[in-house]
Amino acid sequence: MTNEQMTSSETEPTDDQLAPTPGTDGLTDTADSGADTTTDRTLLEARNLDVYYGEEQALSDVDIEIPEKQVTAVIGPSGCGKSTFLRCINRMNDLVDSARVEGELRFDGKNVYDDDVDPVALRRKIGMVFQSPNPFPKSIRDNVAYGLKVQGKDDDVDTKVRTALERAALLEEVEDQLDSSGLDLSGGQQQRLCIARAIAPDPDVILMDEPASALDPVATSKIEDLIEDLAEEYTVIIVTHNMQQAARISDKTAVFLTGGELVEFDDTNKIFENPEHERVEDYITGKFG
Amino acid sequence: MARKSYQEKLTEIREDVLYMSEVVMERLRMGLDALEQKDEDLAREVIEGDGEINRMYLDLEQDCIDLLALQQPVASDLRFIAASFKIITDLERIADLATNLGEYTMDAERDLFPDVDVQEMGELTLDMLEDAMMAYDTEDTDRCRELAGRDDELDEFAERASEIVVRDLIERELDSTDEVERILQDVSRLLLTIRDLERVGDHTVNIAARTLYMVENDDELIY
Repeated sequence: MTNEQMTSSETEPTDDQLAPTPGTDGLTDTADSGADTTTDRTLLEARNLDVYYGEEQALSDVDIEIPEKQVTAVIGPSGCGKSTFLRCINRMNDLVDSARVEGELRFDGKNVYDDDVDPVALRRKIGMVFQSPNPFPKSIRDNVAYGLKVQGKDDDVDTKVRTALERAALLEEVEDQLDSSGLDLSGGQQQRLCIARAIAPDPDVILMDEPASALDPVATSKIEDLIEDLAEEYTVIIVTHNMQQAARISDKTAVFLTGGELVEFDDTNKIFENPEHERVEDYITGKFG
Repeated sequence: MARKSYQEKLTEIREDVLYMSEVVMERLRMGLDALEQKDEDLAREVIEGDGEINRMYLDLEQDCIDLLALQQPVASDLRFIAASFKIITDLERIADLATNLGEYTMDAERDLFPDVDVQEMGELTLDMLEDAMMAYDTEDTDRCRELAGRDDELDEFAERASEIVVRDLIERELDSTDEVERILQDVSRLLLTIRDLERVGDHTVNIAARTLYMVENDDELIY
């Protein structure tokens, strides 16, 4: 299994607590914290974040505050560090031997790179969906239930599976075939199944790395609608090469350019109507990149 | 459509808008000349030329729609297309007003109010239109803001001209209904001419406002 194929629900849980002192700097269940209205509360915050792969710097001095329960798009040319940034958030880069992270990345106030943070527990709070749909060779039901079972959340699994499938806008289409293989679904359905699997453990954040790039326009449209709905309950961060997609579905957009530099982060309409930086203007209008 | 041809298409739209504005300015000039010289042939040329302007407008409108649909422009490109889309509407309306001047020429008989200098008002509007299009071409935002002030002067000019006509009508002692009928049409045409030239001024301010938005994303002149 490559790193790309790994999801938060595929890792074995060892500790339910991110921080050893609950109530001080541990996690809060922000997804369950009340009304589903959009807020400007910062859920994720990077400060002077640098990432290196060996000698090569992939992210350079990134400062960003990502709001809760909104969709944040991350765009930029190939090799600009946008996927690296995404993988930093739930410490997927820990799985890359040569990766080195400096600076701070705070999730709900707690630096996720502190020594006392368990990355596996972190990934339960920050789920991930990848570019290519990667369901397990199991039934639809077992695919969604997997994350719940490995966490020991095995009470009322069937209801939780159905809820996750419903939130992923897939239940209606698969209700009568929950015991069929997830691999028998279409590409678009498989991706929604993976989204259902990611949200079944009820994370706070869903990271998406080009989740619709392998899908046809109809399936893409369904995923985009779904992302909008998900943002009512979750904080969604999506890396995409498709700038129109970023413009359509996100509230905020972060533009990374060559050298792993976060050049601009603002409301999406500001970025696409009147960006502050000429380099961003040149990139989004196709003059370079 | 490749991205390279997209940039070429943007340049083409800019050039076509500028060309359309040159033709519109020429028609406005011809309309004013026709009025001054009571030249019915020239007036007819302006009226018959309106179809050409309408075709230019429709072609440019289609070009803008094609770019929006096929290239999904953003940022300055988006503002350029949105502004150009609105500006060609203003140019087309100015051409319609020039056509009106041609029609007034065909109907007018006499200069009843020599104190009302329609030509001077026409020159003011032509200068404003020329400057608005230069601002669009060179992205000159100072010129855009300055044009809004000049439109106020044009509005005052139009108000004074209308006052001259109304005052004269009140003071003029018309002896018979026949005499009233005789001048009614000419008075009406003159007031419409003043109103139309004042509207040309409004359209030039619209052009300046859209240009300011295009360059600086500033909508202060739009409303």
